[in-house]
Amino acid sequence: MNIPDIVYLIVQVVVIILVSPLLDGIRRIMIAKFQSRRGPVDIFQTYRDIIKLFKRSETMPDCGTWVFRSAPYLMFTIMAVVIAVLPVMHTNGTFAAASDLFLIIYLFALMRFIFGIASVDSGNPFAGIGGSREQMIALFVEPTIILAAIVVVFITGGVTNLGEIKNFVSSEAILNVLPVFIFSGVAFLFATYVETGKKPFDLAEAEQEIQEGLLAEYAGKRLALAHGALVLKQVAIVGLFISIYVPWPVIDIPILSLVFFLVKLVIFYYFASFVEGVSTRLRIGDTRLAASGAFTLAFISLILFIIGRAA
Amino acid sequence: MAEVYLLFLAGAAASLLLYKFQKAAAYIGFGIPAAACAFGIWYFFSGLTGGSELLVSFPIMEAKFVLDPLSSFFSFVICLIGLAASIYGIHYAEEYSGKVSIGAMGFFFNLFIVSMLMVVTAAHVFWFMVFWEFMTLTSFFLIHFNDSEKTAKATVLYMVIAHIGGAAILTGMLLMSTGAGSFYFSDFKGINLSATMATVIFFLFFFGFGSKAGIFPVHVWLPEAHPAAPSHVSALMSAVMIKTAIYGIIRTCLWLPLSEWWGIMIIVFGALSALLGVLYALTQHDTKALLAYHSVENIGIILLGCGVGFYGMASGNGILAAAGFIGGLYHVINHATFKGLLFLGAGSVIFRTHNQDMNKLGGLARKMPYTAFAFLIGAMAISALPPLNGFVSEWFTYQSLIQAALGSGAMGTFIFTGAIVALAVTGVLAVMCFVKVYSVIFTGTPRDEKIWEKSKESPFLMVAGMFILVGACILLGLGAPYAAGKIMNVSLSITGMGFETARGINVVSSTGSIVSPVLISIVFVSMLVVPFLFTAIFRDSTSTVRITKPYVCGTKYSSRMQITASPFTGFLRQVMNWLFRNEVHFEETNGYFGRVKYSSHAKDIWWSIFYTPVIKGLQFLSDKLSVLQNGRMQLYASYVLVTLAFFIIIAIFG
Repeated sequence: MNIPDIVYLIVQVVVIILVSPLLDGIRRIMIAKFQSRRGPVDIFQTYRDIIKLFKRSETMPDCGTWVFRSAPYLMFTIMAVVIAVLPVMHTNGTFAAASDLFLIIYLFALMRFIFGIASVDSGNPFAGIGGSREQMIALFVEPTIILAAIVVVFITGGVTNLGEIKNFVSSEAILNVLPVFIFSGVAFLFATYVETGKKPFDLAEAEQEIQEGLLAEYAGKRLALAHGALVLKQVAIVGLFISIYVPWPVIDIPILSLVFFLVKLVIFYYFASFVEGVSTRLRIGDTRLAASGAFTLAFISLILFIIGRAA
Repeated sequence: MAEVYLLFLAGAAASLLLYKFQKAAAYIGFGIPAAACAFGIWYFFSGLTGGSELLVSFPIMEAKFVLDPLSSFFSFVICLIGLAASIYGIHYAEEYSGKVSIGAMGFFFNLFIVSMLMVVTAAHVFWFMVFWEFMTLTSFFLIHFNDSEKTAKATVLYMVIAHIGGAAILTGMLLMSTGAGSFYFSDFKGINLSATMATVIFFLFFFGFGSKAGIFPVHVWLPEAHPAAPSHVSALMSAVMIKTAIYGIIRTCLWLPLSEWWGIMIIVFGALSALLGVLYALTQHDTKALLAYHSVENIGIILLGCGVGFYGMASGNGILAAAGFIGGLYHVINHATFKGLLFLGAGSVIFRTHNQDMNKLGGLARKMPYTAFAFLIGAMAISALPPLNGFVSEWFTYQSLIQAALGSGAMGTFIFTGAIVALAVTGVLAVMCFVKVYSVIFTGTPRDEKIWEKSKESPFLMVAGMFILVGACILLGLGAPYAAGKIMNVSLSITGMGFETARGINVVSSTGSIVSPVLISIVFVSMLVVPFLFTAIFRDSTSTVRITKPYVCGTKYSSRMQITASPFTGFLRQVMNWLFRNEVHFEETNGYFGRVKYSSHAKDIWWSIFYTPVIKGLQFLSDKLSVLQNGRMQLYASYVLVTLAFFIIIAIFG
């Protein structure tokens, strides 16, 4: 155990969790601007919303079992774990064995598992639909995520630890395989956007259509946590994208790495909010079409990799 | 070794002798195998490194059983699941008291376990085949303890496929022994075979054993036979009996001069089995049929690992072979634990509700909390969620596939990458499926109040049986470095080469990737502080919790409003409707304005593609052949005469 690594991990997770409502606030303001509305007063509105929710009383469906009661805590924790193990401030140190690509992908699966069970457990018909949709969206984007990421693993030589991938991508060797990397990156970027569950892909938590799906039955502090978990999930998936595909600039000072990581998050949110602000919700069938486009891109990157290796 | 086998035989005899005393027969008939399994777990675990032999001399020939690391590993798995299933069976057999003889059930149960154990140690063609068929027959009788028209149909299908498979295995073995000039397995290694002959034997073994393992397209008997059997027997069948077929594939195919494309073919069949297995599982609403389809899926995942192993052996890359076999063998024991657990859990629900249709259940977690918890752990493990055991073996499989893809040509890279994507998609679908199973059975509001009111937690020994396997799932996950090291020894005995699988608490792959279930659990537990910290900081002490009905836009809530098993996968079935040919029943019961009955059930299309033509052909053939059998005595006499004349002619002129 390496003490600095533990400190970095704690600082990283605390800072990102504290900043993520700010990102959501920026997003809300941006969307309002794009839609010529006034929107929230300032970028801190999401903090006030969540704090307010923590203080409210709760209602609970009579059929909810312990899974429903603990789901917000578990989902929040799982996403905190993902954020903690991303190689932002600590790379290849004590936590190398926890920042494995497959491990993180399956942690998202764990989140989805709890999400699904909690939504049926609430007994609410809308929540059940949300839970079912969440699984379908994952089915559409998972092939893209895995194929795009696997191509990057191939070019780094078969190691699936994010720290190793980050080291390789930030080295000069990446220039030799740039086309492969770019195609795979675009495919992954698309999958990332779909996984964040924003418009036009906000199917599982569609507010107007199915009363925010899973969130329909939660209230008070559990709603705050569930809401927070979904915000953290967006940050986590974007963070995964950033740590695989955008490790630049490479700096040895952990604090600066964290600052740059946050800057990259803000940039992503800025462009994402543009997409979100000008689009309308797709039906789930159209999501499949869009996802197969992204899969094609990932597949092209695989072909390029094979050609490049043969040449 | 003999002492373990004799204990089971003693159990069988004792159980048969007690056939008049139902209760005693249950305790003795399932208690003795439990003890024998506990002893076997210790015995075979210590056998994982070294080997021992057992020779039994009979007047005509001697029986030879060899316990090498591979056999010990499979024997260990059989005993582990056998222990849980036997303990569970003591109380589960109550369900059958008065209906069938529990003594006879215990008798067959003991023989079933011991014949599986002897299959994986037999070292002689004759004894292998005898116990192979014995295993089929005892499981056949065990299925028949649930006597119904459906069971009869399922068992006939099971027997037909098992026998075609058995015939293929026997043919392959006899071809081998002709080449070797001996019936002992020890003489089979490295004999001279022409390439064609080797390929023929490989196909005979692969599809012969595959029919027992449930590889697509010979998987059709699993979803029929497993739901029909008593639950502790389906647990054994699904968790370990189909693994003996995997043992057979590994044992027999390694005698042959391997080709690289065999490995690739195994991987293609593995990927197909995994994907189609889970897709059909999603459309089922009979819990046990669903679990049976998941066995098809997991056998596919095991084959992905073993396929890489064979590919590595063929291409002379021992490290790759070791990586593949580690993934495959690790998944063998993992699938045994979580599938055994899930079948026992499903059995508990059936024991209390007498219902296999999950659309009639719901909310059972409040009545059966321990069963629900055990089932949830099993569901998480089978969905490969970290830190449980399913994740570790799938991780090893992913790593071996990556290494194989990097080391092969363009075509190979496509296929191995395709297998990685297939495994990932299988993972997503498995999560979807087990969210459905767990939540529809155990959570929400009861869909049938009467069933729910009557249900209660299962008796102690059934819960104990399940919790043994819960423990195994957790230990095989968190103790991955240790377990992987042990399995590395087994794989080492096959491939002759190995790599370091553990470094401290980390599991290491052949490519140098590391992962640690323990570390991620530590991070998880420490992160659990964060949400509680937030609630503690911002909480208002005056806030209260009010229990209400779920909100349905102000109308009156009814349990019929909540989502059920079929709509949960509704969109998937819509997308994949080319694969799921729905069988729709639509019935107007009371004229136009009355209620209508509507039901739809997804059918396995491969039945109509592969099996219906064969069945029709056979019917056509026997129809034509029936001319020969017109029932006249004179005709049959003339057949006898013609045959006699034919042989006399051969004898004179030949």
